[in-house]
Amino acid sequence: MKNKIMMFWLIVIIVVVSIITIYKKPTKLGLDLVGGSRIMLEAKTTESVAKITPEVMQRLQFAIESRVNKLGVSETSVAQVGEKRLLVEIPNVTDLKEAEAFLGKTAQLEFKQPVLDAQGQQIRDEKGFPQWESAGLTGEDLKSAILSTNQAGQWTVGLEFNGKGATRFGELTSKLVGKPMAIYFDGEEISAPVIREAIYGGRAEISGGDSGFSAEEAQKMVNLLNAGALPVPSDIIQENTVGPTLGAASIEKSKFASIIGIALIMIFMIIAYRVPGIIADIALVVYGLILFALFKAIPVTLTLAGIAGFVLSVGMAVDANILIFERTKEELRAGRNLFTAINSGFDRAWSSIFDSNMTTILTCVILYFLGTSVVKGFALTLFIGILVSLFTAVTVTRNFMHLIFGTGELKYPALFGLRKNDIGKAEVFEETKREKARFGILD
Amino acid sequence: MFEFKRNGIHVVKYRVLWFCLSALLLIPGIVAMIYSMVTYPTHSPVKVGIDYTGGTILQYGTAKEVSNSDVAVTRESLEKEGFTNTYIQVLKVNPTAADDKTKSMISVRTKFIDEGSDEASKITSVIDKQYSDAELIQVSSVGPTLSSELFKKSFIALLMAILAIIMYISFRFEFKYAVSAILGLIHDVVFVVGIFSLLGIFYNVEVDGLFLTAILTVIGYSVNDTIVTYDRIRENLRYNGKKMAFGEIVDASVQQTIVRSFNTSFTTFLALAALYFFGGVTTKDFVLAMMLGTVIGTYSSIFFCSMLIDFWVDKENKNKKITAQA
Repeated sequence: MKNKIMMFWLIVIIVVVSIITIYKKPTKLGLDLVGGSRIMLEAKTTESVAKITPEVMQRLQFAIESRVNKLGVSETSVAQVGEKRLLVEIPNVTDLKEAEAFLGKTAQLEFKQPVLDAQGQQIRDEKGFPQWESAGLTGEDLKSAILSTNQAGQWTVGLEFNGKGATRFGELTSKLVGKPMAIYFDGEEISAPVIREAIYGGRAEISGGDSGFSAEEAQKMVNLLNAGALPVPSDIIQENTVGPTLGAASIEKSKFASIIGIALIMIFMIIAYRVPGIIADIALVVYGLILFALFKAIPVTLTLAGIAGFVLSVGMAVDANILIFERTKEELRAGRNLFTAINSGFDRAWSSIFDSNMTTILTCVILYFLGTSVVKGFALTLFIGILVSLFTAVTVTRNFMHLIFGTGELKYPALFGLRKNDIGKAEVFEETKREKARFGILD
Repeated sequence: MFEFKRNGIHVVKYRVLWFCLSALLLIPGIVAMIYSMVTYPTHSPVKVGIDYTGGTILQYGTAKEVSNSDVAVTRESLEKEGFTNTYIQVLKVNPTAADDKTKSMISVRTKFIDEGSDEASKITSVIDKQYSDAELIQVSSVGPTLSSELFKKSFIALLMAILAIIMYISFRFEFKYAVSAILGLIHDVVFVVGIFSLLGIFYNVEVDGLFLTAILTVIGYSVNDTIVTYDRIRENLRYNGKKMAFGEIVDASVQQTIVRSFNTSFTTFLALAALYFFGGVTTKDFVLAMMLGTVIGTYSSIFFCSMLIDFWVDKENKNKKITAQA
């Protein structure tokens, strides 16, 4: 009995911790629920880049990240999937067009030459801003940018062009000696150095003018330039964009459906199993609390498929209870006392509970490793659900059953949904000595 | 709640009848699958969606209810714009507090729309012209490389799941139980896929990547039910194996587990039904597949797998007798 009371307090502590976790931590909702875009990109090889190496992917990822960050949306993520794919997730896009614009936009590095008037002076607009025009040189012509220092010890950005770029750069610089040339990234000017002499050979250096670059500034520029230089082109191979209204409606519907589903299960359990049914329902509430706390703590991103997995796991959680209670009823019918009936109900049901859950766990594992991200969400929620349900449906229910029913005689069979004259009618299995010890049979 | 009278049912006696009933349940689906495999360009037993064929789906919400004649007009105007092979579907939407405006959802499926192409905005402008209040609410696109890969992956997942389960049951039970359980799950999978094949032919229902998930869950669930029954047979054999004939043991085991099997699938069914009727539109077919799987899984574990084991043992015993006589 002492153990049982300790177990009871342990369960209470777990429940309290779960409630605190649920209260404190935010729920991570999937893109199909909050609205947003999920885009799968695949890197493609080109003539100059024959193989997609991890280094190429890293540069591509950086390039895509900097573009996505420009959208100004929080919690975006760009992750590598497999060898040559990137999964881009942009949640909370309020306007679908915005996400589409990001897809259509090919942000790039661009060199610009000044728009000159008849006297060879750069034209400025009415506000005094210098005017630029495309110089026909872009990130595609850049081989790489590196961080370096010049003779004065200042940080500079070294550029290296590819063959076509080198020729074009030579032409441009010879034409623009004494004049500035601007470097634009995503339509934003990063610097506009003055060309001192014609540069052939495909190498150039950007210094930060009189004040110079700080190490961070120069490094950031190197990164941006390398990013803008998109190492390889990439194709969209999968896209799913959900508008925010659809997402909000989905959350609401799923919530309502889950509540109805769980309520129906709870009512059924009480009708079918009476007092044990009520205990199973309490265990189910404990199950729900622990599960949601785990979802938030891990965190598991909740998706529509994940919610279906959760509801299915509720059905499976009560399955263990149904197995146990059916078994307990049978033992009671066979005329066993209450304590023994409850114990052997649990012990005898255990092998089928274990085996049947194992097969579901096996399929979950396979789904998790072979499935797409949507399928993964379903498999993960179902898997966690099954593990938690084994604890609540077996340990929690057993503890409550013992605490409530104690060791006495069954005075009111109706508590179990049995009739008085059912008792003692069923056939008794003859246990071995070992089983008697295990089930706690006292005779 | 649903108590059967003790010793009230004798399933083994009607073994042949149950096998016939199973056949009756499966044949329409099998016919539909063969028909689909012959006639569809994808040669798949079910109508497959863009996850497996590649393509783009644009979904629009409208505040007005959209009728079939509206759809015909839309199809015509899209054809004028050069979209010949579009597939247009209209879904009715139950209003919710978060979104009380949307009454219908129009989804337009085309071939895969490449990045940077303005085809998507062309379709949107056609829709906008006809339905003044239409709003683009969902875009899904799957490229051709990924779709063939998904197809392959799905197949591997299915095979691996079956293999893992055979291994597990062989390890926990005897081999003949494993084989019967696998035949049972094939029975269930064929039934569910068959129904979706029929739905594809008559109601244009297409399956997506989630369908495979549903099938694998059905597999897990079907085996789960079967194992509970087998577990009981195993236990009864241990206690009464000498006193009772195998058929009697199967009967007794079915009697002892039928209430549990029914109650379990009923609770799971309740939960799924709630999701089906009140949940989101996106997961409706997914939930339907699982609902069908739950029902057929319970049926097959009692009336198919157990009968199969009984049949197998009968055959074994007969062979033993023959060898004994010889």
